[in-house]
Order: sequence, then C-alpha cells, then structure tokens
Amino acid sequence: MKTRFKWRNLYLWLVFIILYAPIIFLIVYSFSQGTTMNNFHGFTWSHYQDLFADSRLIAIFLDTLLIALLSSLLATTIGTLGALGINNTTRPVTKSTLLALNNILMVSPDVIIGASFLIFFTALKIPLGFGSVLLSHIAFSIPIVVLMVLPKIQEMGTSLLDAAADLGANNWQLLSQVIVPYIMPGIFSGFFMALTYSLDDFAVTFFVTGNGFTTLSVEIYSRARQGINLEINALSGLMFLLALVLVIGYYFINQYSSQHRKAVRGRRG
Amino acid sequence: MAVNTQPIIRLTNVCKSYGDHQILKNINLELEAGKFYTLLGPSGCGKTTILRTIAGFTDATAGQVMFDGQVINDLPANQRQVNTVFQDYALFPHLNVAENVGFGLKLHKVAKAEIDQRVQQALALVQLADFGDREISEISGGQQQRVAIARALVMQPKVLLLDEPLSALDAKLRKDMQYELRDLQQRLGITFLFVTHDQEEALAMSDEIFVMNNGEILQGGTPVDIYDEPINHFVANFIGESNIIPGNMLQDYEVEFVGKRFECADAGMRPNEAVEIVLRPEDLDIVAADQGKLVVTVDSQLFRGNYFEIVAYDNDHNEWLVHSTNPADEGTPIGLTFDPQDIHVMRLHESEAAFDARLERYEDD
Amino acid sequence: MQRKQRLTRSTAYFIPYTLWILLFVIAPVLLLIYQSFFNIDGQFTFANYQTYFASSTYLMMTVNSVWYAFLITLATLLISYPTAYLLNETKHPQLWLLLIIMPTWINLLLKAYAFIGIFSQAGIANQFLSFIGIGPKQLLFTNFSFIFVAAYIQIPFMVLPIYNSISELKPSYINASRDLGATNWQTFSRVIFPLTLPGVKAGIQAVFIPSLSLFMLTRLIGGNKVITLGTAIEEHFLTTMNWGMGSTIGVVLIVAMVIIMWLTGGRKPRSRKGLTK
Repeated sequence: MKTRFKWRNLYLWLVFIILYAPIIFLIVYSFSQGTTMNNFHGFTWSHYQDLFADSRLIAIFLDTLLIALLSSLLATTIGTLGALGINNTTRPVTKSTLLALNNILMVSPDVIIGASFLIFFTALKIPLGFGSVLLSHIAFSIPIVVLMVLPKIQEMGTSLLDAAADLGANNWQLLSQVIVPYIMPGIFSGFFMALTYSLDDFAVTFFVTGNGFTTLSVEIYSRARQGINLEINALSGLMFLLALVLVIGYYFINQYSSQHRKAVRGRRG
Repeated sequence: MAVNTQPIIRLTNVCKSYGDHQILKNINLELEAGKFYTLLGPSGCGKTTILRTIAGFTDATAGQVMFDGQVINDLPANQRQVNTVFQDYALFPHLNVAENVGFGLKLHKVAKAEIDQRVQQALALVQLADFGDREISEISGGQQQRVAIARALVMQPKVLLLDEPLSALDAKLRKDMQYELRDLQQRLGITFLFVTHDQEEALAMSDEIFVMNNGEILQGGTPVDIYDEPINHFVANFIGESNIIPGNMLQDYEVEFVGKRFECADAGMRPNEAVEIVLRPEDLDIVAADQGKLVVTVDSQLFRGNYFEIVAYDNDHNEWLVHSTNPADEGTPIGLTFDPQDIHVMRLHESEAAFDARLERYEDD
Repeated sequence: MQRKQRLTRSTAYFIPYTLWILLFVIAPVLLLIYQSFFNIDGQFTFANYQTYFASSTYLMMTVNSVWYAFLITLATLLISYPTAYLLNETKHPQLWLLLIIMPTWINLLLKAYAFIGIFSQAGIANQFLSFIGIGPKQLLFTNFSFIFVAAYIQIPFMVLPIYNSISELKPSYINASRDLGATNWQTFSRVIFPLTLPGVKAGIQAVFIPSLSLFMLTRLIGGNKVITLGTAIEEHFLTTMNWGMGSTIGVVLIVAMVIIMWLTGGRKPRSRKGLTK
C-alpha cells in the first residue's frame, strides 16, 4: 500500500517536472552570459538591461497590454449582457441555438478564426492594424465570458429577482443592485479568462495584424524564427512573473467568491 | 432457543477513528443467520461506518470483523460474501437495468445463459421482470431502488447490507417498500442488516434493533423490548414519543415523581436512587381532575387524524404529552391515570450489560 | 409574470451580443465558404475543390495532418489520464490542478522557443543523450520533436476535462463495483473508464482540433517537415496570397472539425434498441 502510494506521487512529480522544466530552463538562461541556451556562462542581468533598452519591444509590450485590457473589458461587457439575454430567452430552441452559435468560436481552430476574420476585415475595408486586432480579440473573448457568467446567472434563480421586484426594484435597480453583484465572481472569471486569451493569442493576431502593428506573440514568433536570442529569455522571465500575478489574482478571486458563497449560505442557515 | 448457532457476522471490539475523531467506540455485535437487523441512530452516529466495515469499504482501526467464523479484516471488499444496497443506489448509468443486475455475475465469468436466467429471476423477485432493457435514467426512484436490491441479491449473498435505502423515496412508497423488504427477507431467509435513522421504519421491519449514538451501541433488542424498556434517556427519546420525568426510586417496585408515590414494575436500584421515569403518551388516560393519579393543565392540542396530541404541564412544570381520542379544553386541569406496568424506570448511567442482568434477575419473579 | 414581460420588452442590451454573433460568428464562416469558390484572380470557380481532391499532395497532407493530430492526441491522452486520476486522489487536488494549468498561462510561443534551445544540436537534450552514451541526434526539425512539443503544450487541456469527470464520479460506484466482486482492474475498465468517457471525449475535442492547425509549431519545431492543414492555410493566406485555395482547405478543416465534434459529441452514449425517453 505504502510503496504504491510513492509510485503514484512519483508519476505526478514526473509530469510536473516535464511541464515546468522548459519554463524554468528559459528563465535560467535569461541570466546567463553568452548567446546560447547550451551552457550556463555565469550570472548576468545584461539581457534584462537589453530588454528594457529595447524601446521597440517595450512599445510592443505596452500595445499588447492595451489590447488585452481593452478587449477584455469590452468582451466582458458584451458577454455579460449576452449571457443575461440568453438566460432570458424563453424558448428552449432559441436558447440552444444561441449557445451553439456562442460556442463556435470556442471550438474553431485559431487559423480558421484568423483566416475568416482576415477575409471579413478585407471585405469591409477595415484597415489591418490596431483596430482589426482589437476587434478580433474582443470577438474571440466574448464566448468564454458568456460561459463563465451564464452558470452564475442560472444559479441565481428567479426567486431572488422576484423578491427584489416584490420589494419594488425597477429594472435598472434589479440589474445594478441584485443581478450584477450576485454574478460578479462570474464576471471576474470571465474577465480574467478574456485577459489570458488575449495575452496568449498568436495565430489570430498573426492573420489580422497587417504590417504596421505587432503584439508580443507575433514579435516572439518572428524573432524565434531567426534563432536563439537571450533577450527573449529575459522577456519570458517577465511574462512568467506577469502570469504568476494573474494566476494568483485569479486564485484569490475564486477563493473570495467561494468564501462569499459560504458566507451567504451561512447567513441563510 | 438453546441451539448454539454460530453468528454469521461478529464484530469484536471494533473501533474506527480518523485522527483524533472516534467514529466507532468498541463495537460488539453479533448477527445470526436469517434475521432482519437494523442499526438505528441519528446521522453521524457511526451506523453507516459499521456497514462499510462489514462490506470492506473501510478498515477497522482496531478489533475483529468475523464472517461465518473467519476473520475478514484483511479480506478485500470484492472477495466478501456480503452485498450492499447503497443509499444513492449507485446504479451504473452506462449500463441498463439487466446489465446492472448481471454486472457481478459477468465479473465472475458465469455463463451467459445462466446470467440471463438469474438476472430475470432477480428482477422478477423485485417485480421488475419486464424492465431489463430499460436505461437507468428511464426508471423512477422506486424502481431504481428495486434494481439496486436485485443487483445485490443476484449475487446470493449470505448477508445483505442496506444503507438507508428508503431515505430517498416519498412517504407512501417508503411504507410499501418496508413491507416488501420484510417479505423479501423472510422468503429468502438470508440476513439483512439495515441502516436507518427512521425509528418507525426500524420498529416496523426488524427482528432486532441496535440503537446507536456517538459511535456506540446503546441498546440492542427486539422492537418491543426497546420500545417498552429503553435503557436510557436517549433511547427513550429517540424511539417513539415519551414523557421523561425525573424521579426517585424509593424501594423495589415503588417510585416517586411529581411529589407522589407510585407502584411500578421495576426493581434492582439502590434505595432513594435518582432515576428517570418514562411514560408513553398513549399509555396515559384522561379522567376528571379529581380522579387522576396526576393533575395537569392543558396547554395546547393538535389534531393528528386518529388521535389528539395534547400538551399539558404539571405543577413542577414538567411537560406531558398525551394521546387521546377525545379533545380537551385548553387551560383547564385534567386528571391522568396509568397502570403500574406502564411506568418504566431508568437508572441514569447504566451499561447495557448491567441493565440486561437486572432485568433478568427481577423479571423472572 | 409582469417582471418577465418588462424585461423581455427592453431587449436593447442584447443588441451588441446579437451583432457579435452576426458579424463575427456567422459572417466570417459564410465569407470563408464564399471565398473558397474564387481563384487567385477573383473569378468564380470550382477549381479550388477540384485541385484539392485531385492532388495527391493535398490529400497526403490532409492524411498526414490527421495522422499527426491523432498521434499527438493519443500521446496526450496516455499521459493525461493517469495524471488526472492520480490528481483526484491527492489531498489538495485543486492546488495540484492549478499547478497543472499554470503553464498554459505562459505564452505558447515562449514554450516553443524553449524547445528550440532544448532540442538544438548542442542543447541540453543532446547533452543528456551523449551523457547516457547514445550520442547527439538531430532532434529539432523532426517529426518526433513536433509531436513531443505539441503534446507538451496540450497536456493541461486534456487533464482538465478528464479530471472534472473523474472528480464527479460518485465513490459509491466504485464501492458498488468492488461490492459485486470486481478487482481493481475490472472496476477501472468496466466502471471508472466508461463513466469518465465524456471527459475523455471533451479532452480529445480540445486537443485534436487545434492539433490540425498548429502551424507555428510546424514552422518553429517541425522545420516544415510536417505540413498540417493549418500550415497550408497560413501559407496560402499570408505567403502565396491564394485566399481561395486557403479558404478551400479551411472548409475541409471545418468539415474535419464537425466530424470530430460529431464523433465525440454530447450525444447520449447509448440509445440503442430504439429506446427513447
């Protein structure tokens, strides 16, 4: 019994090592003198200094952040309203159709989304660049927001709304003082997911970005095609920190919402 | 009576704990072949843990679990000749009714023709002969319950363990299933060990009941014994409805409560020992105030269909629950009478062994 | 009742979402299909489809792409199922799960880039191979490295749905199976695996479809030895500018996707013998 337990842990640890080794590998070499990822040549901050001196990369980084924040905010707004609308549809056929349409972009391969958006923007004569990238990021983030928010709305049930209406709340009060506070954890999860989708995206952006505008993913791709450049490793270090902050933020929001649920339940009980 | 049969299940000093939390404290239990036993107690009392220990889903921390004279502590669940009907039925949703019932037989490489035949028999036994092709999601809760029973019985276990199997059914279906389970057990002649928190269910079905609380068996006996002679406050309260009044045992067969002396059927206590008196609401008769052995004032009453449930208080502020076929007037004094043998006297801290010994000694007179 | 009427009457808030569906879900797909009927000079034609189905290059590429996606999915599944299963038995599964998901928050391109270093001629993988006496091998730009990196990237997406279905499994099913005499292996093969099949299918969906279109990996890691459907689409749209042919391959990819969805979809697993509710 005991030895078997050790074997199980060993397997899990092995999977974890495989998952994290490349990331750690990247970050370790971001501190290495020299120009390759083959042998560690002694500690240096120089790649980070290069990175911060690279005004082009800094600008791209800021553009990427801007796209991510703007697109997540807008996607969260549209997606939340969409989830409310889907929840309010009375005919089951309409509801399932809407959900199916919602999920199309979730399951489509990135190249299809990218290629079809490229045709779409060209057909509408929308210039490729910041605008097209922003629109695309909003578009592919909306469905995940809906999927995060909808269960919360359904969990809320109708009695809560009936009670609020019974106490004299009008539609706007209903939305702002009952519904939105209740589904806030779902909205936050949706926002965070949208943020990661945007920061993580490469393929769709690659198709619709045109020549003048670049995001980090696209920039990394074109630099990686030219070979090893330890400045990218330094960038990985920073991105890892950013991801860590996001994960921790997401974790705490989840914690908060589950505690909040417990507190609500406790008050009820 | 004197036939010295070996118990089919015997638990000796079985303990179970998770960390500091003791779930079972020194459980001793013997089940004879062919009887209907019930473990009765509130939720969290450890009754399901006993079941799981016998089934092999949990290991006892200490003590012995014996099946048919063999110690089976280390025998894995899949090799024990007991089968379980689970509280949530645990019917496999990816298999249909017949496949669920035949699951165990198939594992044991029984020939296909025999599987079909035995599955059909088992389904007929629970009156679901035509349901073999149905999916689990297509049948009602009551039918799922029967499939779960058939699935366990088809294995021809010597002991069938039932973990609150009726708790998910509605009241009417539950009553029907009580009769059916009892009937099934008597026809098959195998041992049933039934777990429930419902005292009515336990009283209705069992040959013998074990009342549990806080990981201990407080009292074991026939339903009539346990109802008439509960060992302590908890059992008296848990089984049926009771008036439990503090009293004083003056001497054998004479007890004092509410400031009065009464003749009773109990003996074996120390003189002047503080005791508790149990009087069942249905044993109390209402008479005119001046003719009663006790006088109480009616506080409120509820009509319960076949009787009135009357709540009254005596001068010592003890609450009295009375079941009467006639209504009473609220706020008026009434008299209560009862027979000496209706009074049941309980010592405050008496072990089951001491209790049994005392009863043995004095009831044979 | 009244509240509901009031709410449905004001549907203005639903307009942005509806617009999104029309403009960004329906229109692009229709445009892609429309575009597939035009040649590089903008004339209407069926030639793209004729070329596709007559050309052994395109057909071989499709078969290859599906084959590699299959291998990637299989490798991912073989690693992920035990991982999800063991995860469920740990004391803090939620924490472990978070640790599994965390690498997905690191940009895919960075992970691919890491493997360029790891698999390079003098990289750490070859240093290890030399150390154990096998000697350095060409690792980067091989089919193996493509499958390895693709599987590496997709593992979390397979673990997550499988873990979810395993954690939803009621323990009483396992007890019931043991109770009826099943050994550990029988319990796994006859109860646990069939009941967690929905999670496995969801995982396959989440891995197989993207694996058909991982063009950046074929370029960075596969060295263009493996051409997937995604690579071909990217090439036609962004290099040769033959959007019509690219769209045709896109339509094929959509069809492949629909087939996968249909095979692994949420249909009731068993509705045989014509029994319906």
